[in-house]
Amino acid sequence: MKALMSVGALIGVLGLLMLIGMIFGVIPSNTVRLVEGYMPMQVLSELAVFVAGFTGLSYLANSMGIAFPRFWQGVLFWAFIQTYLKFRIYPPIPFSVRAMYGTVSFVAVFMWVSANEEDWKKFRQPILNVLDANTGFHKALRTMYLILLPLLIGGFSFLTMKPSVDEPIELRTVHPAPPASTKVHGKTYTLQTSQNPYRVNLEGKYDQAYSNKLIVEQGMGRLMAPNANPWDDKAEGYLKYVREGGEIFFQNCHFCHGDNLNGRGLHAFAFNPIPANFTDPGTIAQLQETFIFWRVSKGGIGLPNEGFPWASVMPPWEQHLTTDEIWKVILFEYWHTGYYPRTWD
Amino acid sequence: MGLILNLTNNLGEQVVRLTMSKLRMNVKATPIIGAALGALILSASAVGLGHAGDLPEGFAKGELAPAPPAEMIEAGKRVYFTKCVWCHGVDGAGDGPGADRLWPRPRNFNQGTFKIRHTASGELPLFNYNEKTPDSGKNDLLDTVTHGLPGSAMPPWEGILTEEQRLQVLSFVTTQLVKDRKFTDKQSETQTILQLGTIKPAEPTEESIKKGAQLIVDKKCIECHGVEGRGDGNAFNLKDDWGFSIQPADWHKCWNFRGSRQDPYNVRNIFRTFSTGVNGTPMPSFADSTSVEDRWSIANFVNSLCERDAEGKPLGIDPLTDKPKINFVVPSAPVEGEISNDPENEMWKKQGRRYVAMGGQITHKPRNFVNRIDDIWVKSLYNEKNVVYLIQWDDRTKSVAEGKLPWAPTQVNVENFGVKEQAPKTGEEGSIAAAQNNYAVYNDGIAFQFPIKWQEIPAPFKPRYLWGDAKFNADILKWEADGSLRSFKGTGWDQDFEERDDFEEKVKLLKSEWKNGQWTVMISRPLKGDKDDYDEYTRFDIGKYIPMVFFAWDGHNGDAGRKMAVSAFYYTILQPPIPQEVYIYPAIIAVGVVFLEGWMLTRRANKKKGKVL
Repeated sequence: MKALMSVGALIGVLGLLMLIGMIFGVIPSNTVRLVEGYMPMQVLSELAVFVAGFTGLSYLANSMGIAFPRFWQGVLFWAFIQTYLKFRIYPPIPFSVRAMYGTVSFVAVFMWVSANEEDWKKFRQPILNVLDANTGFHKALRTMYLILLPLLIGGFSFLTMKPSVDEPIELRTVHPAPPASTKVHGKTYTLQTSQNPYRVNLEGKYDQAYSNKLIVEQGMGRLMAPNANPWDDKAEGYLKYVREGGEIFFQNCHFCHGDNLNGRGLHAFAFNPIPANFTDPGTIAQLQETFIFWRVSKGGIGLPNEGFPWASVMPPWEQHLTTDEIWKVILFEYWHTGYYPRTWD
Repeated sequence: MGLILNLTNNLGEQVVRLTMSKLRMNVKATPIIGAALGALILSASAVGLGHAGDLPEGFAKGELAPAPPAEMIEAGKRVYFTKCVWCHGVDGAGDGPGADRLWPRPRNFNQGTFKIRHTASGELPLFNYNEKTPDSGKNDLLDTVTHGLPGSAMPPWEGILTEEQRLQVLSFVTTQLVKDRKFTDKQSETQTILQLGTIKPAEPTEESIKKGAQLIVDKKCIECHGVEGRGDGNAFNLKDDWGFSIQPADWHKCWNFRGSRQDPYNVRNIFRTFSTGVNGTPMPSFADSTSVEDRWSIANFVNSLCERDAEGKPLGIDPLTDKPKINFVVPSAPVEGEISNDPENEMWKKQGRRYVAMGGQITHKPRNFVNRIDDIWVKSLYNEKNVVYLIQWDDRTKSVAEGKLPWAPTQVNVENFGVKEQAPKTGEEGSIAAAQNNYAVYNDGIAFQFPIKWQEIPAPFKPRYLWGDAKFNADILKWEADGSLRSFKGTGWDQDFEERDDFEEKVKLLKSEWKNGQWTVMISRPLKGDKDDYDEYTRFDIGKYIPMVFFAWDGHNGDAGRKMAVSAFYYTILQPPIPQEVYIYPAIIAVGVVFLEGWMLTRRANKKKGKVL
């Protein structure tokens, strides 16, 4: 037990040191990188590791006879979560969202410290002491609070009342509901029944199982499958269409969606909403190919209002590309990211 | 003696080989320039031989790195054909499908000419398949692939490819795609390495920076980079080794330095580029002619020019984009009386400026794949009658169209007049890089739009960013370098503007000046139209967020109509003067808290007394 807890304590201390180092810029902030697409899981597991670390720390301190008061444990843990959310996660979470998390974690901490009568007593004792106790230390503390509290509350309300010019927050739906059908270059496509005419096997039949075998491998790097090089002279059918789609992508789309399809193209920094990141498991991996066909063909201007059509710079690609070219680009996007398009059933 | 002779021999060989390779590749591009360059290098070689034996200060001789093993090269091929081939091409000649719409063009690997290095001018960059740590100063190519080349389409591959994969693809590129030179050939290649790790940087003291300011004049840096370092000194005539136009770096935008390694305010990057030169471009190495101390002074000075915030601190850089962080609010501060038309006036100096990022208009034809204006700086003030915007941006070329433009100022569809977007596949000769400095010259311009009747548009609806739409119209003010300032109504991206002469009498161009590569334009407009009527014009209400979009045209980039740079939606807000309540209420609250505390403590004290008694 003790050994286990010591390991936990060690992890806790190391994690804390690392976080502090990152906040003050002593340790480069990308030492433990938040991997795109896996961030929520990563954040949760990191927090779990911290909790384990703190448990170990507190156990160890207890057994060494330097017990840490329950009151300060609660307060510090809550402060820790706030610090973590503010400094660890990038792009930064807006204050309003952090306030929400803050409330939730406050309730959680409160439930923890008031789990049973004894714990609750331990927790509130320091508070009562400040109010009542007659030792010199507590008297001084009481006087300090007497002066500091009005100043802090007054100052805080001054800051909130002072007119500020923060960016207004507007929430946009990234993947709005698609229409039942869409008309592109004079032809109507029913989204539920249409298929990518280039996702075909060597006999020329629609075959997703065939194309799935030839896409880029998942995992770090996402490299093409061995012996499935679209640039091979002998590449035919699906792989040849992938190359043609890639050519169109790198003549048109990479300016915003980036050379690695991660939404970090040459012009991306200037635009808001930012270009979609196809390597994120939350974008094309979650969508049907025909949904993408509709989004690409109609562009930002074709979005319903919840998608903010007035702000998106996504071109309606029917103005620039033929339908064949659009299907090939979509084929390439799935190939390059290594994702399977979602099917309707 | 024998040793010196040997060295001389080696150097001699190297210079001859360099001359040969330069001649070869330039003859391919433009024979005349090639011959001229050849002659230049020959004359330089005479000087170089005179120096033989002693290395430039701060450099040391290095060993060529070992050849990468065959399996790494083979693995690298797989990386290359997944990620790189799309721009750099099947043969590494920088002619992939994406190349013709890019400027700068993707690197042609065949000649072995690489820009960002720790090695002496003309030498191959450092590459060692065994040196796995980026930023060690021992593996230039790994650093380039890791951090990308900001300001070009080359992205950072860190976090996308593993270090192993990056070394693999470099093993493939350096052995299979570099064709004219060989990284392991001791006969032809040398490595003279800048010892950046052991040279202590000179502190950026006032004295050092002042010395640097003088040195950039003495060393003729300003002939290309311009008097204020905005890259406007020689914007028209510079070509790279492949015959394409190239522009000197703008020292005010260090985040666009190719060699900034995602650490733009780090002075070491500037010191390195200045010491080693940029191979394949007109930027020479100053190592032979400049002492290490002087090089630090110049680097400190150049670094000091990079844009900073009001307190002189480096701007916050967004790690996702490697550009300055964006705040989408352009605040306008209240002033009493007349608003000065002098940007150096105290009222303007006091007001903070905002960085507005500009991307190419890539939504509708003609798309602008290369926008030469990638940011503008905006300040704003208002008084009881007018709101004034002060807009400043770097533009290496002052462009005013000769004669009258063939289209009316209200016309937005100008494709029929030759304003066309770059074709996707043209080959080098027809590429966007070859077109630079060959465009018909139109007017530089700046414009911004607000929604008309925004008071009646429910949030978050807005008129479309590109000149409004049929339902929600946009109020557009456009300035052009011919001195005109016009007011338009926009009703859609492809709809010609409606000119509003009656409003034009009320808007005012307070200043427009191009100086040393920077435009300064100051535009005043009334807060409202006549009689509070806002059916036609945007009415500004204090304390409200009003959506705003910026547009910019660089006349020498052939920009006109929709071929332009455009921003995202920003918000402008007339900051209300701070009302008295803001001071009064917090004081009342604080006093209230004091009473509350007193009440609570008395109560507890009484309770305790009660218990004791």
